[in-house]
Amino acid sequence: MRTPVAVVDDASLIRESFGLLMPRLGVVAAVATVEELVRRRPVVDVVLLDLHLANLEQQPDVRQGIAAIRALTGCGYRVCVYSQEERRFVLAACIAVGASGVVSKALPVGRAEQLIIEVASGGTVVPQSVVGILEVLVRRDCITLLSERQRQLLHGRARGLTYAQIAKQLFVSESTLRGYWLDLTRSLSDSLRSLTPSEIERALGLAPGDLLEFWSGEATDVKDWWRVDRGR
Amino acid sequence: MSGRNGLWRVADLPTTEAGVERAFSYFIAGVRLGTIAQMSPAVHIGVATSPDEVAYLACWAAAATAAVAVSAVALVRRRPLGAAGSAVDFALACVLLVLGPLVLASGERIGTWVAFQPGYVLSVILTASGVRSRALWAGGVLGIVVCYLVYLSGEVEGDMTSTAVGNVLTFVVYGLVARMFFGYTRRIAHDADASRARAAELARREEERRAQVMMHNGVAVMRLLTEPGTDASRSLLIDQAEVELRRMRSYLRGRAPDGDVAAAYAAAGSTPSVVLAAMIKRVCDRFADLNVDALLDLGADLELPAAQAEALERALESLLLNVRVHARADAVVVHLDQGTDGSWMLTVRDDGVGFDPASVTAGVGLREVVVGELRLRGLDVEIESAVDEGTTVTISSGPEPSAVRADRDASTGAA
Repeated sequence: MRTPVAVVDDASLIRESFGLLMPRLGVVAAVATVEELVRRRPVVDVVLLDLHLANLEQQPDVRQGIAAIRALTGCGYRVCVYSQEERRFVLAACIAVGASGVVSKALPVGRAEQLIIEVASGGTVVPQSVVGILEVLVRRDCITLLSERQRQLLHGRARGLTYAQIAKQLFVSESTLRGYWLDLTRSLSDSLRSLTPSEIERALGLAPGDLLEFWSGEATDVKDWWRVDRGR
Repeated sequence: MSGRNGLWRVADLPTTEAGVERAFSYFIAGVRLGTIAQMSPAVHIGVATSPDEVAYLACWAAAATAAVAVSAVALVRRRPLGAAGSAVDFALACVLLVLGPLVLASGERIGTWVAFQPGYVLSVILTASGVRSRALWAGGVLGIVVCYLVYLSGEVEGDMTSTAVGNVLTFVVYGLVARMFFGYTRRIAHDADASRARAAELARREEERRAQVMMHNGVAVMRLLTEPGTDASRSLLIDQAEVELRRMRSYLRGRAPDGDVAAAYAAAGSTPSVVLAAMIKRVCDRFADLNVDALLDLGADLELPAAQAEALERALESLLLNVRVHARADAVVVHLDQGTDGSWMLTVRDDGVGFDPASVTAGVGLREVVVGELRLRGLDVEIESAVDEGTTVTISSGPEPSAVRADRDASTGAA
C-alpha cells in the first residue's frame, strides 16, 4: 500500500517525477505553493516541502521556509522538509518550528523514500548536523533531559551510531529505542522552540547576532525574513 | 682510531663475539709469555742443580716453546686454541709434571721457580680453559691434578703438605674461575650480538613502517587520481595530493613532517599546539564528496601538541580515504567531544558496507597509520565494524573520558 503524500516544490520536474521515482509513495497532490496546498487541503500522511519556493518569474511573493512550515503544521499536517538546504541552523530552525523530518535532496532516491515513509508513519528524521546542535545544547544545560537513557541515546545518535549499535550497548530492543527517539526528538523540538537565538549563540560559542537571520521568532511569520543567499 | 694499529688495542676491540675471542687471544698470549718471563730468571739455577741438566733444559725449552707456540697460534687465529691444540697443551703439561721428579733436585719441587712445572701448568689451566669442550677441559684439569700428585710423590712431608694441597686447590679453583670467565664473557658477547641484530631488525622494521605510514595516504590518493572522475573530485584529490607530497618530501629529507613547525616553536620557547577542531574541519573539507557531518562544537577549544595532531590528521585522512575507496557509505559522521577533565574522544562513523574484523586482516592504513601511529603517541584507538553495518572508529586521549565511562557504567547497571 502506498503512503499518501503531498509535494510542495516550485520545480515542476520534481513535482511530476516524485511518484515515478518513489513508487512506495502515493502522490495525492503536487503543488508549487503552500498557499495552493492549504487551499486544496488534501488528506495525506505527510507533506513534502521544499524550503525555497519563491522565484522571481512565477511566484515571487509566496510563503516559504519557516513560514511555510508554520502554515502547514498550523493546518495539522506532518511536514517533512525535502530540500538541498545544508546550513545546520536553518535545518535546526525547521525542526524547532515543527517539521517532523528533514530529508536532503542529495540522498539516493531509495534512502530518501525510506526516510519519508518513516516520517509519514509517525517517526522523526533529524539531520545529523541538527542532532549535533541538540547534543551541545543538552550538554551545556540549555535543554534539560530528565532521563539518563535519553542522554545515552542522544550521545549515540550524535556519533552516528545506528539503533542496533546503541541497542546492543544499552541492552534494549531497537523498537524501544525508536520509541525513545521519537519522544526525545519531540521533547527536543519543543525545547529548541523555546530558546532564544542569543541563548543558542551562547551555548554554541557563536558571536551575538550570528543566528538572527536564521532563527525565527514568534512574530516573524513574514515572507522576507528568509534569506536564502546569505550565510553560506 | 680505527685501522690496522687500532686492532691491537684492547680498548678498540669491538664488543662482539669475534672481538671477545680476540681479547681472549691477548689474554692467553699475556699469561703464557708472562709465565716464560717468570720461569727465565731461575733457569740457570735449575740447570746447575738438576740431576740431569740436559733433560731439565729440554723440559724447560719444551715448556717455553709450547708457551710461545700457543701464544702465536692464538694471536694468529684471533681466538683460543681449538680442541686438538688444547689437548696437546694439556698433555705436554702432564708430561712435564711427570718428568719433574727426574729433572729436579730433591727438595726443589715446591716453592721455587727452579721447579717451573707447577707455575707452567697453572698457566696452561688458565689459558686452556677457553676450550669449548667441557669434557676436554675437565679431563685436562683432572689429568694435571693427577700428574701433579705423581710429581709430588716422595717429596711432600711435614710443612710442605699444606703447600701441596693449596697448589692442588689452586689448580682446581683457578680452572673453574677461568672456565666461568671464558663462558660468561662469551655469553655476554653472544647476547650483545643478538641484541644488536635485534635492534638492527627493529630499526629496519621501524623504517619500513615509517615509510608505509608516510606513503600510504599518498598512494591511495594517487590511485584515486588514476580513476576517472569529475573535475570537482579531481580538484579535491589534487589538494590532497599536494598535502601528501609535502609529507613525503619531509620524510625524504629526513625530517618529521611537523619538524620545521616544532623547531620554530621551540626556538620561540613555547610548545607547538594545533586547534583540533580546525584541523578536523580542514581534513573533512578535503572529502566533501563523502557527505561528512563534522560535529565539532563539543571540542571546539581543544588543542593538541603538533606531533600528536599531525599523527591524528594522517589517521583521519586514512580513515576517510578508506571510506572513499571501500565503504560505499551514504553518510559519514565525525564527532569530537571533550570531557570536563580535559580528556577527549573523536568518533568517525560511516554507514557503509563494513567488514568482519575477525576475518579481514587490517591493511597498512588501519594497522599502521591509524592504530600504530596513534598508540605510539599515547592515544587509544578502537575499531568496531560488521558486514553491512558500517564502521565506527573511536580515538581517545588515553583513559576513557569520564562522561563516556559513566554512560557505559550506567548502561551496565541498567542491565
